[in-house]
Amino acid sequence: MKEKETTRIQSSYLEGERVPNFKTLSGMDYKEVYTPEDVRGARELPGDYPFTRGIHKTMYRGRLWTRRQQSGFRSAKESNERMKYLLSVGQTGINMDPDLPTHLALDPDNPLAHGDVGLQGSSLVLLEDMVDLYRDIPLDQVSNTMIVEAPTSAVIIAQYLLLARKRGTPWETLIGTIMNCPLTQFVGPTYQSITTFFSVEYAVKIALDVMEYMVQRAPKWNVVNINAYNIRETGVNAIQEGAFALAIAQDYVQRLIQRGLEVDVFAPRIGFFSAVHIDFLEEIAKLRAMRRIWARIMKEKFGARNERSMWFRTACQTSALPLTAQEPLNNIVRAGIQTLAAVFGGVQSIHTTGYDEAFSLPTEESHKLSIRTQQIIAYETGVVKSVDPLGGSYLVERLTDELEEQIWELIKVIEGRGGFLQCFLDRWVENQITQMRYQVGENFVSGQHPMVGVNLFRDERDSTKINIFRHSGEWQRQRIEEIIDYKKNRHQEPVQRALEALESKVRRRPEENCIEPIMKAVEDGATLGEIMDAIRRAIDFKRPGL
Amino acid sequence: MQKVGKKRILLGKMGLDAHDNGIVIVAKWLLDAGFEVVYAGLYNSPESLVQTAIQEGVDAIGCSFLGGEHTFYTRRLIDLMNENHIGRMKLILGGVIPPEDIEELKRLGVAHIFTPGTLRDTIVEAVNDLFNKPE
Repeated sequence: MKEKETTRIQSSYLEGERVPNFKTLSGMDYKEVYTPEDVRGARELPGDYPFTRGIHKTMYRGRLWTRRQQSGFRSAKESNERMKYLLSVGQTGINMDPDLPTHLALDPDNPLAHGDVGLQGSSLVLLEDMVDLYRDIPLDQVSNTMIVEAPTSAVIIAQYLLLARKRGTPWETLIGTIMNCPLTQFVGPTYQSITTFFSVEYAVKIALDVMEYMVQRAPKWNVVNINAYNIRETGVNAIQEGAFALAIAQDYVQRLIQRGLEVDVFAPRIGFFSAVHIDFLEEIAKLRAMRRIWARIMKEKFGARNERSMWFRTACQTSALPLTAQEPLNNIVRAGIQTLAAVFGGVQSIHTTGYDEAFSLPTEESHKLSIRTQQIIAYETGVVKSVDPLGGSYLVERLTDELEEQIWELIKVIEGRGGFLQCFLDRWVENQITQMRYQVGENFVSGQHPMVGVNLFRDERDSTKINIFRHSGEWQRQRIEEIIDYKKNRHQEPVQRALEALESKVRRRPEENCIEPIMKAVEDGATLGEIMDAIRRAIDFKRPGL
Repeated sequence: MQKVGKKRILLGKMGLDAHDNGIVIVAKWLLDAGFEVVYAGLYNSPESLVQTAIQEGVDAIGCSFLGGEHTFYTRRLIDLMNENHIGRMKLILGGVIPPEDIEELKRLGVAHIFTPGTLRDTIVEAVNDLFNKPE
């Protein structure tokens, strides 16, 4: 420890050790004390509109949240092994992540994809990959989230529906979620990230195709999940996370209504995926405020009558931003506290981020610890035994009101600018994000955002070693070869015919639902990249490398 | 800290990973510290990055990674830098890079690797030293 630092700590002891400020992470003031005067009016019970205290009357007494750790790496086969391992230690839902080339709809043999095949998720190209990925997992009994956005979501859902048909599982019985949101799923709404490999406007149209197709055929399936987590992880605050996510959801609701769908038919199948950052009380209040706002939007603005349409159902992940590479064991404590905030916030499922997050994908050991963290909170602490245990806290109620107010204000700003998609296209969103990133940098340097072991109490002598997941370059080369061989040796004619049919259909009628011609192409052996290239040609979109 | 005349640094990400919080913040820090930053953004290939480096006549290249793709791309980048006779240009990396790989990347010739949690002053000082200190 530097001498300067020692002196500083000693003198802070004499002066009274204090935190650097009394603001929430979003910059709102924490009052010295909250009293009954801070709580406005009567409060409803859990399960009652607008669901501030939870969407269900009994919440975790009736059923615990779903333990849903993301997983996916290398081949579908290996990812299937990891999923089965997670289920064996008490995970209760699947959360499957494909690799970057799959997200961006590029085949592994595309030179742009070579370095990223199988790294951040599983490489999914063909119907056969889907067969391997879900081997031994009953699609009507284990709820399965597929972390994939439009346009790729259209191909993945086509593969999934074909897999269900192959296995004789009726589509009406499928349970799970396709994330599907082209504006948030990749890495949040940053401009270059989601406009380079596909048209973002046409991606929104394809996302709506997936939603429309699925609500009509798989009524238990969640057709879109707005990734507020990824919005937050770009560096914005809780207010922006909330307002952006809800504004995006409004864009989808409006467009589905324009397609002639009944709001109460599709709205119950819309979900969210929230971040739970490290400001414990603000995050709890945010989740409560989000429920209240969504309920009001759906009831008052869109005229929903079914209560389920008004439920802000949210999965969540404990934010990785506060996790550190320095003294990585500290992350176990952070993620534990964040997980507790999620539980007090009344979420429907949780991914507790691994303590090795700042190094690589989670090891099996780290994955298990995340599940154990949730199980300890669920089974040992007692916090699940009463619904909304912090309800009525002067502070939490006041903060919920304040966040509600601020999120509404920002939603109105976005509406005034033509809605979220418009704000995104105008780069207004991009500017908001960049400004916040600079502020995150400033707060880190100034210590206004303290991170123990990093910009505060840093210990350069620390040499904690943890096990770290290792990637395999050898496997990448094999996978690329495998796909090249596949393309060479398959029956070419039906593939070409199906791709041409898809391209000509999209060119002639770009507004029509494209899921069925995509399904035909998948069935006839076309790859993800080939299918999306056909659509790119049809809409005259030039991706890099073409 | 001795100030140098405006040195130009090319910053960009290679491959398909689009996590750019870190590199955007570091770009701002380096600008504030008096460097000229040429920001190449996302989705660069090693080829395009080397081309930009030559065109812009930069003094250093900085790349950021997150998903385990660092070794693949850094090897290619260094090979291309050598082929194009800019092997003496400084190369710095940042992001989520496991400790075992850091040794290897440094052996390949990477000058500095800034992993998550590196302080601003550490980065600025190290980059300044690249140009100030004799090799």
